[in-house]
Amino acid sequence: MSALISISKAEKSYIQSALEATPPLREDGRSLYDFRSVLLATGVAPLANGSARLNIGKSPEEGGGGTEVLAATKLEVETVDGADAVDGGRIVCTVACSPAAYPHLSPNALDDLQHDYTTTLHQVISHPSLHPKNLGILRGKKAWLLNLDLVVLSDAGNVYDALFMAARAAMWDTKVPATRAVQYTAKGGNAKKPADEIEKMETEGDAPSGFDTRQIPSATDFDLPDYWDEGEVLSGRDMWPLCVTLNIHSSAYFLDASLKEEAAAPLKLIVAFAFPSTSPPRVQAVRLLGPGDVPHTRLKSLVSEAGKYAQEMYNALEVKLRDEDFRRNQKARNRFAQR
Amino acid sequence: MSSRVEILNDGGYRSDGRRQYELRDITIDLSPRGTADGSAMITHGLTEVMVDVFGPREAKLRGQTLHDRALLTVEVGIVPFSTGERRKRNRGDKRILELAATIKQTFEPIVQTNLYPRSEISIFVSVLQQDGGLLPASINATTLALLTAGIPMTDYVTAITCGVHSTAPLLDLTTLEENDLPHLTVASLPRTFKVTLVAMETRLHVERVSECMKIAGEAGKVLHQEMKRAVEARTKRLVQAMDMAPRIGGVGGGVDRDVDMDEDNQT
Repeated sequence: MSALISISKAEKSYIQSALEATPPLREDGRSLYDFRSVLLATGVAPLANGSARLNIGKSPEEGGGGTEVLAATKLEVETVDGADAVDGGRIVCTVACSPAAYPHLSPNALDDLQHDYTTTLHQVISHPSLHPKNLGILRGKKAWLLNLDLVVLSDAGNVYDALFMAARAAMWDTKVPATRAVQYTAKGGNAKKPADEIEKMETEGDAPSGFDTRQIPSATDFDLPDYWDEGEVLSGRDMWPLCVTLNIHSSAYFLDASLKEEAAAPLKLIVAFAFPSTSPPRVQAVRLLGPGDVPHTRLKSLVSEAGKYAQEMYNALEVKLRDEDFRRNQKARNRFAQR
Repeated sequence: MSSRVEILNDGGYRSDGRRQYELRDITIDLSPRGTADGSAMITHGLTEVMVDVFGPREAKLRGQTLHDRALLTVEVGIVPFSTGERRKRNRGDKRILELAATIKQTFEPIVQTNLYPRSEISIFVSVLQQDGGLLPASINATTLALLTAGIPMTDYVTAITCGVHSTAPLLDLTTLEENDLPHLTVASLPRTFKVTLVAMETRLHVERVSECMKIAGEAGKVLHQEMKRAVEARTKRLVQAMDMAPRIGGVGGGVDRDVDMDEDNQT
């Protein structure tokens, strides 16, 4: 993938020599490993099951600028015998780029770019190692399809980190509606008898019943109980990966590049990490993008460095997400009670 | 008896508690975004539309340029989670192309394109949420975005939908009402009292049209006030910021803001 904007040779060498100076300098005065400020809000799309809006580098005075990403999840019921549907549910990620974010790109180039982002994100997030347990509805019959849609509203550099952060926040925010299995019996007064909770239905199927076919779960459909809650959170929501982009220039690297810096140092290493609560962090994906090469011996240290920054990012995001949760639930309830 | 929603109940209230001619609340955000020359976000009830304007600039496709005026291009994008049912619409979707063409036709007579020959003004509309009145919200947001980009226009364009329930006209319909009622979208010019767009996809009795047009015109004036207030507030902020900024090469105070190029060179 080539750089998204073109800058002159002089500007390019200006940025590069500033990065090589001691101490290294960047155009906005940050040090090499500083991030711009990150703003996040969850629950921004009322019609989605979970959503988030994320901005990296919004200028505080003018109220504009920065990389802005909108992410939302929507759940759909799928019949498992369909062509694509999988037992236990599946996740599909789609990234769309607003033409306003890339005003100089032709429609075809924009499609290519969207496809690049979509592929990377889909491969990482829909990986079986991260699959949430509660996307199944009726085993072998119905399952949820989780559509994660991301829209890049404006690009001021470092889109990959923004996409992964927004995706994580939206998935974290997602609520899966509670379902109840329903079975039909031929005789008796109650033609429609609600069976037990879905979890119970599944254990029932596991019973070592030998040839007794009556033990096969007979639930054929499900209904949504009328309840005030939006449902339960997606299981394993702590696992959704975060990504750190290392922009590599000669022997140094830097984080959170602006568009110009991306054009001046086009080689980047993208590392996505998941942070399971019980085990050490896991590398979920590594991509080396752009022209250039990295010596084999250096790669290991780069990945472990990236892990360090990802951990910091994870901690900060975790605090913010819990805070958002608190703001939207606890505080809203208190405000309502005080009225 | 039926589970259908009552559009207008006996007390004269609509399903969301509004009166017949009452508009939903409108929030206007004109803060700059990305590299756009002008941008506006309008939240009209639950409908949310964001418009970015680029230009006048050199056309992306040189072959399309016109020798005597600027080319107006409109692209519309609807995010898949903007409706209740997830639906991904691609760029080639007929509905989207129609919406874009309608917006383009609405603005072609208003924008003074003859001032910028051989250039392009591109308008990008992104729809973040829809709850009725998609076209009017897009038109209003486009007006504001063009204004913030500083593109000369002869007037504001304000648009609103007007529906008719049996004989009672209703303003500013939600999705629920749009599905049930015949309605027309009217884009008017509040200063000259002209109309640049009337769009209708359903049947409406001839006798109701004139009443609808009259009420929609009135609503256009109200919208105009609202939009003007937002634009003026933004301009005021800009002027203040200009006063505060240190003047480059100037000796005088912040009184005369127009810097003459020649004069500046001499000092």
